Amino acid sequence: MKKKISKRRAIFIVVWLALIFTLLGLIIALKEPPGEAESIKEVMKDGVLHDKNKISLFGILDVNPALISAYVVTAVLLLAALLIRIFAIPKFKYIPGKFQIVIEKLVEFFDDMAHANSPHKTGFIAAYIFSAGVYIFFSTLFELFGLQGVTTEGLSIALPAPIADINAAIAMGFMTYAVILLSGIICNGPVGGLKVLKDFSLPISMSFRLFGALLSGLLVTELVYHYVFLSFVLPVLVGVLFTALHALIQTYVLATLASTFYGEAVEPRKKHT
Amino acid sequence: MPLNIDFVQILLHMLNFVILAGGLTLLLFRPVKKFMAERKKYFEDKEKEIAEGMEKNESLKAEYEKRLSSVDAEIEEMRLNAKNETATAAKEYINNAQEKAAAIISEAEAQAEDRKEHILDSAQTEIGELVVEATQKLLENNATPDRTHELYDEFIKSMVRDAQ
Repeated sequence: MKKKISKRRAIFIVVWLALIFTLLGLIIALKEPPGEAESIKEVMKDGVLHDKNKISLFGILDVNPALISAYVVTAVLLLAALLIRIFAIPKFKYIPGKFQIVIEKLVEFFDDMAHANSPHKTGFIAAYIFSAGVYIFFSTLFELFGLQGVTTEGLSIALPAPIADINAAIAMGFMTYAVILLSGIICNGPVGGLKVLKDFSLPISMSFRLFGALLSGLLVTELVYHYVFLSFVLPVLVGVLFTALHALIQTYVLATLASTFYGEAVEPRKKHT
Repeated sequence: MPLNIDFVQILLHMLNFVILAGGLTLLLFRPVKKFMAERKKYFEDKEKEIAEGMEKNESLKAEYEKRLSSVDAEIEEMRLNAKNETATAAKEYINNAQEKAAAIISEAEAQAEDRKEHILDSAQTEIGELVVEATQKLLENNATPDRTHELYDEFIKSMVRDAQ
């Protein structure tokens, strides 16, 4: 009897809340947008350029919010890695538990990719693509948390994904290219370096691929958020889907490209007799 | 700069990633890889150990099967050997027994001969004594002093005759 009453009550509460939210949604959707709100053009422009809102970096420099996001992501990842190193790894067993499987699979995934794409030398590139992959994946997911930052103008903004800033994308692209170029020179001398230099468009394509992919998701999400009548349920699906998919795809793409070009650069030269 | 590109911020992003990459490699990537390599080696060693054990078992099995197949012939050979050994031992025993028996018989014969001689000697002595005794008794019954003297004389005469 008691169960029946509590079930009825639960149904009533759900229906009641649904009704209230539907009515509220309709009221907001039919209301005229406020005059001082940012236009879609301004929102898009700011989403692409990040030239409007700056955040002070320890009072030294005014930087894009994405740089703050990058440092936050790095701090969180390093802290997590430290905790795992101290508390989890010493307790690893030969027959792994669930958490151990996740960690091992993560390492194994990038290690296997490095072995597959660069069979001659894998040690360094495996560690590099592991770090880059983890960074891109978690920094893309970072925007889902909606952490707030305060701009130099005193406004509150949600911290974006670090790679959504072109500076971060350029940094990743050029650094990856530098790693490939230097490894080519170290392993095969100047000829190895030349082999990499002929792919001079690689850093630009890598940078803009990362930036473009993240930006497209950002723009679609901003577009959805901008219109109030699209602000129910849909942003959850769009935001999460875009973010999660981008996180996975961009991680995979950068890791694959980096390991493939690295593999070509460090491949021993064939001696023609 | 177009697109809000800022070299300082690019360098700051690079610095951030270098710190992160170093930290992740040292704290996570290498220790996990090291652990996985250790585990791989452990299981490879185990697998090798099992394979060696299996190989040993197979060779033992083959050896036992081979031994089983040859065991009939071996048993037959052992039986023949045992039979031969038994026959040899029996023959030897019989020979020994025969030798012993021959020795006993010859000894017994010698003893019997000795005994016979001894008995004959003693019988002769006894017969002699009996003859003497009987003669004495006869003489005692038939003897007269004259007859005695006559016998003595005859005896002396025969002695003289023998001496001549």
